[in-house]
Amino acid sequence: MGLVGVGAGAGILSVEASRSGDGVPEAGPPGKSPVAVLKAASYEEDLVAKILEGARLCGLNVRGKRVLLKPNLVEFDSATAINTDMAVLASALEAFRALGAAEVRIGEGPGHRRDTLGLAEEARYLHGIRDFEGVFTDLNRDDVRPVEGFAGERFYFPQSALGADLIVSVAKMKTHHWAGATLSMKNLFGLVPGAVYGWPKNKLHYIGIPRAIAELNRTFRNTFALVDGIVGMEGNGPIQGQPKHAGVLVMGRDLAAVDSTCCRIMGIDPTKVEYLRLASALGHVRESAIDQRGESPRAVRTNFELISQFRNLRLA
Amino acid sequence: MAASLSQRLDLLLRTQNDDGGWGYFPGKRSWMEPTAYAMLALEGRADQAVLERAWRLVESWQLPDGSWRPGADVEGPGTWVTALGVHLCCARGQFDDRFTRGVRWLLGTQGREGNWLARLVSMFQPGDPDNDTSHHGWPWLRGTSSWIEPTAHAVVALHMAASHYAGVDARVRDAEELILTRKCCDGGWNYGSRRALGIDLPSYPETTALALLGLQTRKNDLSKEIRHARGLFEQTHSRLARAWLSIALRNLGEETAPPDNEPGKDILLAALESMAHPDGNGNAFRVPVAGSRA
Repeated sequence: MGLVGVGAGAGILSVEASRSGDGVPEAGPPGKSPVAVLKAASYEEDLVAKILEGARLCGLNVRGKRVLLKPNLVEFDSATAINTDMAVLASALEAFRALGAAEVRIGEGPGHRRDTLGLAEEARYLHGIRDFEGVFTDLNRDDVRPVEGFAGERFYFPQSALGADLIVSVAKMKTHHWAGATLSMKNLFGLVPGAVYGWPKNKLHYIGIPRAIAELNRTFRNTFALVDGIVGMEGNGPIQGQPKHAGVLVMGRDLAAVDSTCCRIMGIDPTKVEYLRLASALGHVRESAIDQRGESPRAVRTNFELISQFRNLRLA
Repeated sequence: MAASLSQRLDLLLRTQNDDGGWGYFPGKRSWMEPTAYAMLALEGRADQAVLERAWRLVESWQLPDGSWRPGADVEGPGTWVTALGVHLCCARGQFDDRFTRGVRWLLGTQGREGNWLARLVSMFQPGDPDNDTSHHGWPWLRGTSSWIEPTAHAVVALHMAASHYAGVDARVRDAEELILTRKCCDGGWNYGSRRALGIDLPSYPETTALALLGLQTRKNDLSKEIRHARGLFEQTHSRLARAWLSIALRNLGEETAPPDNEPGKDILLAALESMAHPDGNGNAFRVPVAGSRA
């Protein structure tokens, strides 16, 4: 299997990997990937300190960099666990500024709803984050540039994403009725501009959701994951499921390793999640290749309810 | 003129780009969608030179196959905004080769409805709305499925085109049927999927409005849906949704309150809110009465 990353403030990645019996490549990138799991019982805790601690555990250096925080903003619903919680996003903004980033902005391009600012208001971002409109870009309607070779063709992406030195996927820990789970890697769907591809971004469905997730993560390589698992979503996610308290923030530079760790916390076997199998040359899925820091995933594991189509994903 | 309308029209006039178009936000590159809505909002309310500059840009965005590209930085292929290109031709009374090629592209474009399994189920369970792949609307871009918003815009454009291009009627009827089959159980529409994994999905206010625009010539059948839209208008906090609902409801003879807040920086929203205003160009989306089929 050969993969070549392109464009997008992207580190060029070329990986050749042989596959094991379960179809997951024996080796992703060289070395182990650090992933930090930090307990956070509620959104009232000092989340800035938690995020700073996670960044330190992962050896993240953002000094002088232009950082784009990409939350998971999906629906007009402040009462459930659909969207990344405002407290996590606001804390991430403060933490990355404190870490010395030259610029920290927030950008999102929701998949179904066109009124992005209205969504942000409902999710309490607009009034809960100081000068939100001043730091926010609607990625669905940003100026765009082409990137060649995305799923074999030319694809357009927002200037704000292509120009960032680091994209932080501030995702939500949720089950997903088509992909099994939606975590930091699938959250990059919001980088695809609706002004070109529509609402929903149906082109990605025709490419295939697992393949599109892998392609997005191949294209955008300078990334960091911060997954809001304080209250996630189980069952018929990513919209109609039920809130599930997991009480964790999960962070790391290797998004495949972060998502695999989240899966283990959710009681999902990441080696059975198709998008992680496809993306496993980009990062580590195997437990033995992940350097778990902070809490052990086993210690904080809490099984998320799975819909019948995905019961086979349950971690032994 | 009411202040809330003049503020929005002023914003549009102040933010026209040097190339003649409008971006989604001030200072951003021009896109077809905000440019089309700004032109419709300013028709009869701005110096003709403003509209001519915009039209020259729109003309330059039509591709050889008749479709329109979505914006200054997207070379192609053409997308759903072709419906807006045809709409603008009709609004300007410009029924030339450009118009003909645009209509031809629309008529030659349809969504890929369902996968092979859905098509198979549709063959054996005709009339089941959850598996009905027999009707065709329009996709956001070719090679993908039909959705409510691009279908509604294409239906409006083809209704307007009908008196200058023969043979659009059957396609429009079929697309209207598609809109009706995609109606959610609550009486409105979302982006175009009424159920997922056997569970009813809720409607959205903005797409309910667009669906009603697509169905405006069938209004005698839609009293329940109009009541639902009225309820959504009263409930929603989304300015975009209220603008679209106001345009749709006014087209159907309903009164709505005008926007009462500052226009903000969203150019597309300012254009729609000005058309949603009681004194604005809300009839820009009204199709000719001659096309009515109650």
